[in-house]
Amino acid sequence: MAAALREWAAVVARQDAAWRAALAAWAPLLGSLSGLAAQMRAAQRLAWGGSPLRAFGDLRARLWRKQRGAAEALLEQLGVRRAELRAVRDAVGAGVAGVLRLYEERAAELGLAAALRRGPRCPSLADALEGLQDVERYYRHLYLESKLLLRRVSCDNLADMEALPQSWERILERYKEDVVQDTLLKISLFVDNHREPCCSPGS
Amino acid sequence: MAAKSPADGTPRRPVLSVSARKIKDNAADWHNLMMKWERLNDNGFTTANKIVNMKISEQFQDNKLEIACDNSATESEKSTPKYNEELDNCCAELLETLKHMTKIQLKMEKLTSTTKAICDLETFHNGAGNCTAPFFHTWPTPYFYEVSLKLSEMYKKELQLKQTIVQEIAHSADQDLMMVYLSSWLYQPYIENSSKLLLEAMLLETGHRQC
Repeated sequence: MAAALREWAAVVARQDAAWRAALAAWAPLLGSLSGLAAQMRAAQRLAWGGSPLRAFGDLRARLWRKQRGAAEALLEQLGVRRAELRAVRDAVGAGVAGVLRLYEERAAELGLAAALRRGPRCPSLADALEGLQDVERYYRHLYLESKLLLRRVSCDNLADMEALPQSWERILERYKEDVVQDTLLKISLFVDNHREPCCSPGS
Repeated sequence: MAAKSPADGTPRRPVLSVSARKIKDNAADWHNLMMKWERLNDNGFTTANKIVNMKISEQFQDNKLEIACDNSATESEKSTPKYNEELDNCCAELLETLKHMTKIQLKMEKLTSTTKAICDLETFHNGAGNCTAPFFHTWPTPYFYEVSLKLSEMYKKELQLKQTIVQEIAHSADQDLMMVYLSSWLYQPYIENSSKLLLEAMLLETGHRQC
């Protein structure tokens, strides 16, 4: 089990780097969408007939089309970043499923007491497996929140589009606990200690 | 010994290949002019953005001052507008950008009229209504003129809009209007999305881009 956990941790460390990079790219894109929404709202509020732009009769419609095009281009870029998050979610999820399957195969051989045994500096196998599930849940939930956020973006609701950066911050605030690093530390302690006589045998 | 001239005595092939070279050069010129325009547009947006930010900041200061004045003694103590050197410099910069864009648009018109002249020359040599082989792959010569004219008209209208923006942007107090000026400058509503495609098609046809 220790070897499987070690391998999983290495995969997650790499995937987490990709996850953080994809997440970091969201803020500037949402900022651009927010700025664009502010421009579109200004164009909606403007009394065109009383402005110096009244000579350009088709300008309002043309500008709207261009702004929508720009919004679509930004959403496409966000879609690419969302796909990157999905790839990490899927890779980590597949890894967790693999480790849990291995545990199920060996559960009878290991025994419940061994799985629950903790040492002074050594989490139990159950603690480590719980950590895996926490990580999988973190990626799955945050991915879903990002997907829902993008689904709600629409040029028909510019006020919400303008508030996207704040909405995103509120989402990230709920996930600020570093579940991944905590779990990787837990697994590292388990793997380092599984050779010591005080801890569960593992394989 | 020199080859005999055709019956009418007019050597046609050298004129056509000169025309084809000119059309090819024009396509390259279109590409360069459109790239230069985009760079000027980006610079112009940066300058216009500074102007708008200064205007908004000025309004904010004026509002604060007005509140302070309302709280103190007399009407006559209200301050006169101050000369803003930085604003003036940005306006001059924007005007300069517009001048460069105007030169580019005039060059675009020149390219269009040169292309028209080549079409007219071809018509003269081949007789009106007679089909001739394309200079390059598939485009009949008049199509080069059609594309040039379309592009030229887009940039002409866009320039008219930019002229209005440059005249008005520093004199507006309406924040929504200033935002619309900025957005209009940035997104260039009169330069249609098809312009990029038309340019690429022209470059492909004339051999500047490989299939």
